[in-house]
Amino acid sequence: MPKIIHYRNKCIGCNICYESQPEYWRLSRKDGKATLIGAKLKKETYILEIPECDVEASKTTAEHCPTKVIKVSV
Amino acid sequence: MKKPELLAPVGTFESLHAAIRAGADAIYFGVEQLNMRTKSTPTITIEDIAEIAKVCQQHGIKAYLTLNTVMYDHDMQLASRIIRECKTHGIDAVIASDYAIFAMCREFGMPLHISTQANVSNIESVSFFAPMADVIVLARELTIKQVAHITSEVQRRNLKGISGDLIKIEAFVHGALCMAVSGKCYMSLHEKNASANRGACVQNCRRPYKVTDLETGNELVIDDEYIMSPKDLCTIDFMDQMIEAGIDVFKIEGRSKSAEYTYVTTKCYREAIDAVLDGSYNPEKITYWLSELEKVYNRGFWGGYFMGKKLGEWSKDPGSVATEKKVYIAKCTRYFPKIKVAEFTIESGQTNTGDTLLILGRNTGADKITLTELVVNGSKGSIAKRGDKITFPFESVLRPGDKLYKMVTSDA
Repeated sequence: MPKIIHYRNKCIGCNICYESQPEYWRLSRKDGKATLIGAKLKKETYILEIPECDVEASKTTAEHCPTKVIKVSV
Repeated sequence: MKKPELLAPVGTFESLHAAIRAGADAIYFGVEQLNMRTKSTPTITIEDIAEIAKVCQQHGIKAYLTLNTVMYDHDMQLASRIIRECKTHGIDAVIASDYAIFAMCREFGMPLHISTQANVSNIESVSFFAPMADVIVLARELTIKQVAHITSEVQRRNLKGISGDLIKIEAFVHGALCMAVSGKCYMSLHEKNASANRGACVQNCRRPYKVTDLETGNELVIDDEYIMSPKDLCTIDFMDQMIEAGIDVFKIEGRSKSAEYTYVTTKCYREAIDAVLDGSYNPEKITYWLSELEKVYNRGFWGGYFMGKKLGEWSKDPGSVATEKKVYIAKCTRYFPKIKVAEFTIESGQTNTGDTLLILGRNTGADKITLTELVVNGSKGSIAKRGDKITFPFESVLRPGDKLYKMVTSDA
C-alpha cells in the first residue's frame, strides 16, 4: 500500500502541506510543526498508509514541501 | 568615542566558543524553526538555551536569541515557550520583528531588540519602537550619514528604551547582503515554495541568470555577473567612521557559516574596534585584516550602502571566493593541563613545520596556530604523517576529539 513518510524533526511549520491536503495534515499548536494525522511513529519518522487515489495529490504536497521532509512511497 | 559592542553570529556550539575565543562582547543565535536560518542551522534546539546562556554568563558576554521569522497562529505556543526558556535561563534579549513576539516579551518581562526585519530606517520609527525595546537593528540600506543622524537624534531627543537607558542602535558591519530590502524577499518562496521569511531561503538569487530577448531569442548574460547576488558587506576599512557615527552595536552576519568564519571575522573586527579606540588604526592593519577576512567564506567585499552607493556591487561567482580552505589532518588525543601541551594523532595527510593549522571543537570553538617547530612522536621533526603523534604547547584547554585542520590555498 502507498505511504506518506514524514521526517518531522526538520519540519519548519510553513503550513503548505495543510493548505494542500487538509485531510492528511494539521499544524500542531504545541510545537508549530506539521502533524501527519493518524501516522505511526517509527524511529523518528511518521508513516501513514494512503489509498492509491491519493498518491498523486500527496506527491504534489511532497514536492511543495520547502524542506523536503515529506516523501511518498508507492 | 563610544566603544561599540561586537555581536557575533552563532549557529553551532563550535561557533559559540569560537566567538568567545575571538573576543566577541555578545553573540546571537536561533533555535527550532522560528529564526531566519532555520534551514541552514537546524542543530540548536530549545533544550540548548540553558547551556548557551550558562557558557555566555561564565565568559561575561551577552546572549541574544533571534525569533524573527514571519509568525503564524500555530507558532504562538512554541514562541511563548522559547521566550519563557530565555527568561528562565537569563538570555539577555530576544531579537524580533513580529508584533506577537513584542507582546509576549512585554508579558514575560523579556528584553526586546527590534530586528532588521522590521526595516527601521528613520528616527521616527526608532522613537515608535523605543518604549518597548532596548536595541534597534537598523535596515541595512542606510548610508552612514543617515545612521549618524539617527544616533545623534537619539541623544538630542533623549530617546530611552524600556530599560530606562538611551535606546541603542545596532548595524550590520560584515557579512552577506541580499537583493531584497533587509531580507523581505519573495523570490525563494516564488520559485521553490521555500520562504526566506520562514528561514528557508534557497538562495536562488545567488545563481547566474540570462536575459532572453523574446523577439530574437538572443540570450544575454549581463557583464558576466550574478546580477541578483551582491557582494558581502565589509566595513573594516572605514571602521573609524562607523564608530564616529555613534552606532552602539556592530553585528556580524553569518549564523549558517562555519566556526572559523565566526572566529576570523570576530577577531578582525575586535582588533579593528580596539585599534580605532587606542589610536593605532592604520592602513597596514586594514590590509592585514582584509587579507584575513578574504580567507574565510565571502563573495567578494564592498562597503554596502553605508558610503552612499545606491546600487549593489554584484558578485562574479556563485559561491564563496575564500582564499583558503581547510583540510582535515588530525584528532586531539590528549591535553596535558599542567604543562599546557596538546597531543594530536595524524589521521589523514601530513603536516610540515610552518603550516597554519586550525583547531575546531564543540567546546573549544576555533583557533589558529602556526607551528614553528614540530615535535613528532616525542622528538623534533619537520614533517608528520598518518599515524604520527604531534605535540605542541597550547595555552587554553583542548579536548580529546577536537579536530586539527591544515589551511591550504583554495583552488577557487
